[in-house]
Amino acid sequence: MLGFMDYVQNAFAEATGWNRDNSYGTLNATAQALLDFDTPRGLRLNLSSLAAPTFATSYSIGSVGVVDGSVSYLYSSVPLQTSAKSCDIDLHRVIRGYRHLRELRRPDDDAWWELWHGGKRIDRKKTLLYGRILVPHSTLEALYLRRLSPTRQLRISCVSDSNLNNGGTILGLLQNDHGKYSTEYMYSTDSALMGVRGLYNFGFDPRVEPAIPTGQETTEPIYGRFSAGAELYYGLLNKSGGISTGLRFTTLPHHTGFPYTMTLTLNPLMGNLSSTYAVKAGQNLALCSRFDFNFYSYESDLQVGCELWRRRRNPEVEWAVKKLRPDWDALTPKPDEDVAGVLKARVDQNWKIGLLWEGRVKELLFTLGASLDLKRREQIFRAVGVELQYSS
Amino acid sequence: MAFNFNWSPLMADTSAARIMLTTALNKSPKPPIIVDDIIVTELNLGSTPPELEILEVGDLAEDRFRGIFKMSYTGDAFLTLKTRVQANPLNTYLSTKPSFASPQPLAAASGLTIPLQITLSDIRLSGFVILVFSRQKGLTLVFRNDPLESLKVSSTFDSIPFVRDYLQKEIEGQLRVLFMEDLPAILHRLSLRLWSPEYAEMDDERMEQEAKDTTVPIDPLASPPQDAVDAFGNPLDEDQLSAFALDPSSETHASFSQKNLIRLAALTESHHTLSLFTPAMRETVFRAWAGACERSEHSGIATPSLTQSSLSRIQSSFGSNKSTTPSLASSSTGNETASSRPTLQSFNSTQTGIGMGSRTRTTRKKKTRVVNLRKDKTTSEDASSIGTDNSAPPSITISEIASIPEDHEEDLATPPKSPVKTLRYESQHGSLDVGEPAQLLEQPADPTPTAPVLSELSTPKTSRDRSKAKAASPFPSLTPEHPQLGRSTTSKPPQSHIHQVSGSTRMLRSLSLDKIPFQTSVSGSSTSRHPLSPTAYAESSSSGSGGILEQAWMMKMANEIARRVQDEKDKEARGEQRVAAKLDSGMWEAGDVEAPPAYEA
Repeated sequence: MLGFMDYVQNAFAEATGWNRDNSYGTLNATAQALLDFDTPRGLRLNLSSLAAPTFATSYSIGSVGVVDGSVSYLYSSVPLQTSAKSCDIDLHRVIRGYRHLRELRRPDDDAWWELWHGGKRIDRKKTLLYGRILVPHSTLEALYLRRLSPTRQLRISCVSDSNLNNGGTILGLLQNDHGKYSTEYMYSTDSALMGVRGLYNFGFDPRVEPAIPTGQETTEPIYGRFSAGAELYYGLLNKSGGISTGLRFTTLPHHTGFPYTMTLTLNPLMGNLSSTYAVKAGQNLALCSRFDFNFYSYESDLQVGCELWRRRRNPEVEWAVKKLRPDWDALTPKPDEDVAGVLKARVDQNWKIGLLWEGRVKELLFTLGASLDLKRREQIFRAVGVELQYSS
Repeated sequence: MAFNFNWSPLMADTSAARIMLTTALNKSPKPPIIVDDIIVTELNLGSTPPELEILEVGDLAEDRFRGIFKMSYTGDAFLTLKTRVQANPLNTYLSTKPSFASPQPLAAASGLTIPLQITLSDIRLSGFVILVFSRQKGLTLVFRNDPLESLKVSSTFDSIPFVRDYLQKEIEGQLRVLFMEDLPAILHRLSLRLWSPEYAEMDDERMEQEAKDTTVPIDPLASPPQDAVDAFGNPLDEDQLSAFALDPSSETHASFSQKNLIRLAALTESHHTLSLFTPAMRETVFRAWAGACERSEHSGIATPSLTQSSLSRIQSSFGSNKSTTPSLASSSTGNETASSRPTLQSFNSTQTGIGMGSRTRTTRKKKTRVVNLRKDKTTSEDASSIGTDNSAPPSITISEIASIPEDHEEDLATPPKSPVKTLRYESQHGSLDVGEPAQLLEQPADPTPTAPVLSELSTPKTSRDRSKAKAASPFPSLTPEHPQLGRSTTSKPPQSHIHQVSGSTRMLRSLSLDKIPFQTSVSGSSTSRHPLSPTAYAESSSSGSGGILEQAWMMKMANEIARRVQDEKDKEARGEQRVAAKLDSGMWEAGDVEAPPAYEA
């Protein structure tokens, strides 16, 4: 489950019109959500609050052998109108599952963001500040996010920790999203790592104004999107680098059948080929598989995962619900009120299993998780954990 | 005197050692580049044992031993390790970084694991080993020089010259560090665990702490502080240095446990009260004069400096020896261990060479430095080294004289072999004055062959040469040693040799040490061309504790060895484990600043 601060940051991105999915880094976000989810360890409690539309705090305490905790604050220059109460947060926004990509949107014009008052420009750049201190390790995390322009965002994240080399590390990330393509440039102070990422979407170009409507063909919707991207890293100090390329095809909401996403990534240096296929086989079920193959070492790996939304049924009114017209959705003002929980499971070829059960009880969001290793008979449960969140 | 090392059981079965080595290697957290368990697939100690050549046995008693060996190994031992490494540098780099500020690459950090097999073979070792053993202070083993001559590293990447050279260089460097720094520390610790169980307990506790501690354990023996001074500003001896450099707190705890203190108190009480009850203390040697004991031990530890000077003299030209003066010797303040690191070539100059031995000596003792008895011995030693097959004791000066009865033990009526008893003799006679050396040297039970010799020796005017000659004449078996020792071929030793000759008793030795300044003040001025470091003097005098003790000690040691063969094998295996663990972790840590491995039991 998404942490509260991540939720707020997502809300900021939404408020500023930033499309997080249009980046090479999130090329296989669906597969990551379904296969690489973290299972909690031990007990963790989160207490959060969006005290003001521009200010959020969060406290967490956890116990994995030793008691640790964190305190975090967030400031956003944009008032966040989203609801942050744990009782009415949309579960789809905090539980990462199959990602429906939206159609590309034409980026805002720079002029649209300008605010003039009395002959002077008074608009400020939208900024987000976030800080978190973890005790007792005395690790400090800080994030500075600034929307430089409608197509550009600067993100600087820092970690200060005495255990790290030089006491900490800073990552600067400059993101450009032009809709049709996006580029990212990054620099990390740790070993002077430089990186560049790019993603290109074939086909429809949202920047081009549609021609004057001439009948039927302009209204024909776009059913899918094909994207290609690449990334390149080079560490100046350790003189090592990395490269990868990727392809993705995903269906868009207009697609009539099952939504599905296919990705293929290739690391030519290390000979790693990875393909994923995810399908949303219904309103409550998503399936995903990933196959890795390394053509240098001939090692392969297969992972399968699923996401299942479990809904409470009320047998007394169920027959009535069935008789309703399909487009009648005013029955439930909150779409996930009847969600009993979401089950996520993954298994790989070594019989390592990860299980996650997420949902809402009263006003608490909970996450139950376990990771199992069936190959090790003496210690099947590798980790078990419970995480509780309350926010107001 | 002969040592009998049985190599074959060591090489016979190494499967247990291999398993232990494997578990030890996988116990500590591995660097991220190693993605699989490290498995020791083959461990073979080879059929050729290392050659040990005894250069010097400085001190020999039931509970302590000090000697210098020349070790060379050209055997066929080999060790094969197998693991899998992560070949993607970005993967290993990112795995140690916090995810918050990580670039989070999509697929550029995907892993590529490569099986890696490293074989260490053709190990060539050659070096001088200084071995000091004391039951209380444990075993101290120091390599005088870098023992690793060559090593063949073969790995999976032999076809890539760059990687091969890199691995070769890295592993050689790590092994050098291992031999010079880690191995002595490990052995010392092991020996302390072995002989003082209380230390072992403490050590276990400390291990746990060390496991959390992130500071690199530094072998204090490797680099003693330069020009150390005590609280009063007096320069400290290196033996004092080493005494507190090696975990002094734990040692005191180990040597004086509550239980033992109570017993010792009861013992002293029984002396005071004439009580007949004396508490039984196992494996204990009683000496009446603790001060004398300490003194002899004190001088006994000085071996490294002694050998340094003696070894350095190998390189020094004979002619330049004469010009060496005490002032020169005292002026050199070189760090002993640091200077012992480089090869002996650095000792080309006589001044430093001889100065080495007597560095950081106080001015009070400076005069003793002029007495050089051992100068020529070592020069000739260079020419004709002692063969290992020669079982004759290659001991120095007085020690053979003292050990004469032992060599002819069968012929002569042997004295009571109990070492304790002999020691009691010593201590009794030790209380006597220096002026009666002949009487003192009656301690060998059958003094008839030795007494005349010794009494002659003990006359104050006797020079070393003559004493040696006399000593050799009744016992021709000793004569072969003589050229080897060659100590008195050129130099005329000063008068103070009397103390060495009569130094078979501890007490006397301590007395003679005290008296050295008086006597050598004369000889120092007259025989300035025979400089001798006081450590050498002390060493040679303390070496006189041999005699029957040696035999008895050897017998006892033989029994003990037989008893502990299995035990020691385990210990050795464990030691190797640690060595290998250390080696391994160190090897990978070169580029990675992870938490250092703690020595684990």
